[in-house]
Amino acid sequence: MKKWLMQDSWRHLIGISISLFALFPLYLVVISSFASSGSLQLTSFVPKEISFKNYQLLFNNPAIPYLTWAKNSLVIAGSVAVLSVIIGSASAFAFSRLAFKGRKTGIQLLLLVQMFPAILAISAVYVIMERVYKFAPEIGLGTQPGLLLVYLGGAMGVNIWLLKGFVDSIPAELDEAAKIDGASAVQTFWLIFVPLAAPVLAVVALLSFIGTFNEFILARLFLVDMENRTIAVGLQQFIGGQYSQNWGPFAAGSILASIPIVIIFLSLQKYIVSGLTAGSVKG
Amino acid sequence: MMYFLRGKVAFTLKIIVISLISAILLMLTQSAFAQREYVIAAFLGLTVLVLALTYLTKISIPLKFFIPGILLLTAFVIGPILYTVTMSGFNYKTGNIISKEEAILQIKARGIEADPSGISFDIKLGRFDGTEAILVSDIANLKYFISTTSSRVAIDPREVTLNEYGVAISAPNFKALTDSELANADKSYSKRHFIYEGEYFIALEGFEAGVVSRQVLEYVPSTDQFKNLVNGKLYSDNGRGNYSLPSDATAILEPGWRAPIWFENYSKIFTDPRVREPLVRVFIWTIVFATATVLTTFALGLLLALALNKPIRGRRIYRSILVLPYAMPSVMSILIWGGMFNTEFGAINALFGTDIAWFSDPNFARLAVILVNLWLGFPYFYLISSGSLQAIPSELLEAAAIDGANSRQIFRKITLPLLLQILSPLLIASFAFNFNNFNLIFLLTGGGPRNELDGEIAGATDILISYTYKIAFGSSTQDLGLASAISLIIFILVASISLYGLRKSKVLESFS
Repeated sequence: MKKWLMQDSWRHLIGISISLFALFPLYLVVISSFASSGSLQLTSFVPKEISFKNYQLLFNNPAIPYLTWAKNSLVIAGSVAVLSVIIGSASAFAFSRLAFKGRKTGIQLLLLVQMFPAILAISAVYVIMERVYKFAPEIGLGTQPGLLLVYLGGAMGVNIWLLKGFVDSIPAELDEAAKIDGASAVQTFWLIFVPLAAPVLAVVALLSFIGTFNEFILARLFLVDMENRTIAVGLQQFIGGQYSQNWGPFAAGSILASIPIVIIFLSLQKYIVSGLTAGSVKG
Repeated sequence: MMYFLRGKVAFTLKIIVISLISAILLMLTQSAFAQREYVIAAFLGLTVLVLALTYLTKISIPLKFFIPGILLLTAFVIGPILYTVTMSGFNYKTGNIISKEEAILQIKARGIEADPSGISFDIKLGRFDGTEAILVSDIANLKYFISTTSSRVAIDPREVTLNEYGVAISAPNFKALTDSELANADKSYSKRHFIYEGEYFIALEGFEAGVVSRQVLEYVPSTDQFKNLVNGKLYSDNGRGNYSLPSDATAILEPGWRAPIWFENYSKIFTDPRVREPLVRVFIWTIVFATATVLTTFALGLLLALALNKPIRGRRIYRSILVLPYAMPSVMSILIWGGMFNTEFGAINALFGTDIAWFSDPNFARLAVILVNLWLGFPYFYLISSGSLQAIPSELLEAAAIDGANSRQIFRKITLPLLLQILSPLLIASFAFNFNNFNLIFLLTGGGPRNELDGEIAGATDILISYTYKIAFGSSTQDLGLASAISLIIFILVASISLYGLRKSKVLESFS
């Protein structure tokens, strides 16, 4: 046996066994997605067949508008990511760089508001949007723009908080120089700060995208129509409700939906970890 | 770019954008006002004003940055929180959902009684002299009449046209409703009292039959009471959202309305054993669950971080594999685990050759919940522990080694205490997060198993937040008032935990 293996064998033992623990469910999903049986059954560790039936079902079955769900998820999560970062970074910039009365109180209030368990305000959000629907059916309950607005409001607290941490870490010398040159605060924000912070803003936008993509409870409450649903809601309906225990297509759909998220996550690992240590925990 | 932000072009653009947004908001304000949603209308109106003041004057520069965020937060976070606070002071549950005015109308509508002899007639809906009327056929006596809400006109049997069942379908001056009119008749005709005799009137039962009925409950506006016209009993407002008999508080009229009961929802939590006992059980499990999750995820994450803290072969591969559970969309991984724990087909039982009914036995269900959360959460602690391990100065460890400490002693006396100090705010944050980990419980076990025969809504794996959700949106009864009160208590608990954690991190900052 090689020397390195002897020396570090306990490390590899732990690494391998926990890797197996991490991979087991994922491996199971992958083989289920290529099986034709449709259950999440463990018949053998080696797949006996490779069938694309489940994948075909996702794209060819008119009762399963998978592509529409994917588009909905992309549009909703994408808009939330972009808009919430623009709006949030403006607030974060002001908190971090501008001197004004009530700054400290504002930050504390924001922190407190952010701690209210969002799920518990759902009944109130529901009642409010139900009322909005009565006079503006385009943005009320059951519509994607309505859900988007609710997400934007909900994302504000966390995003401003997260962005403020990032903004604080960007040196202020450049905007001070701009100020001396006679630039207004608004100009400094758009011309100096935004280009400088663009990579960070992109990271926060992607985190926001992942978070919204994962959101399930509000989306389920809001999007009743089959055509309106997001991937998370649509796929959940596969294994409960009318498609009861339909694991094959669920597995296939989950894999396709997870791949981009996992890729984004892995490539941004470094930033996400620093964001995590800033105090946020992903769900 | 500079040109855009400075010159007249920018100013014009700004004006256009602000007027456009204001126009849309004003339109919404108007329609909200028309629908009598005064609070929403006021908010929208105020928004227009604030936007104009902020962006067209130079009142405050910071406000220009804050306004969009503040408006969104107010509308969708602070507004709902305030609404929750308000709801917690109301008797707001199934049976007491509507307003008092609506409740009075409904009690009146329900407070009628059919004639004891059970007379009913075949009828035809239509119009007579332009008002809503019914053409009534008393087939047994071969009598026909037209009745409106104010008069009754007898008709000569020779003047009516009968169908094959002997029901009059047309009469002079009577215009029967067309099919399309009939489709919309439900709201108007079914609420009308068509004249019959004395106190009796004809109430519709469907569109083709009328029942002779009389009003039993009558509203007395002067004293705000309902009077039972038959036995003379008086029902008065009991101050808790119902009309009830002063002598018998349980004799209430349905439906009730949402009435302020101030702190009763809160006091109920502590004094009513039917509320308190399940809540205490759920609270204990919530603490156990959150603590167990933090301990297990941290322990496994740390173990990994220690094992991979040396540049061994394949470290990058391990790392990529180990963060996968954290990178996967959690909704999907939770659902997958749910399938794996299935008793008959699940992979867990197949793998270990067991036959455990995971989600039917309270203890196995709890174990499953913690296990799944371990899978979801350990990569987080692996990532942050390995980051923190590198932050511990190597001189410290070397000095200890020179002093003759073995690696176990170094870990226990130096590495672990330092690590705990660095990570304690994150451990607390993780506790606070899992305290409210709704998705996991809701998607994995739904809070079950529970004893449904007892009508119990708290399940063995329900945590406070999922239990509260069930109180508010349960399938049989919904108690928004009580749920809101519990929500606010949870909020206070979580906020104190998090603020404590934050204090700790501040203390650390000032040290370094």
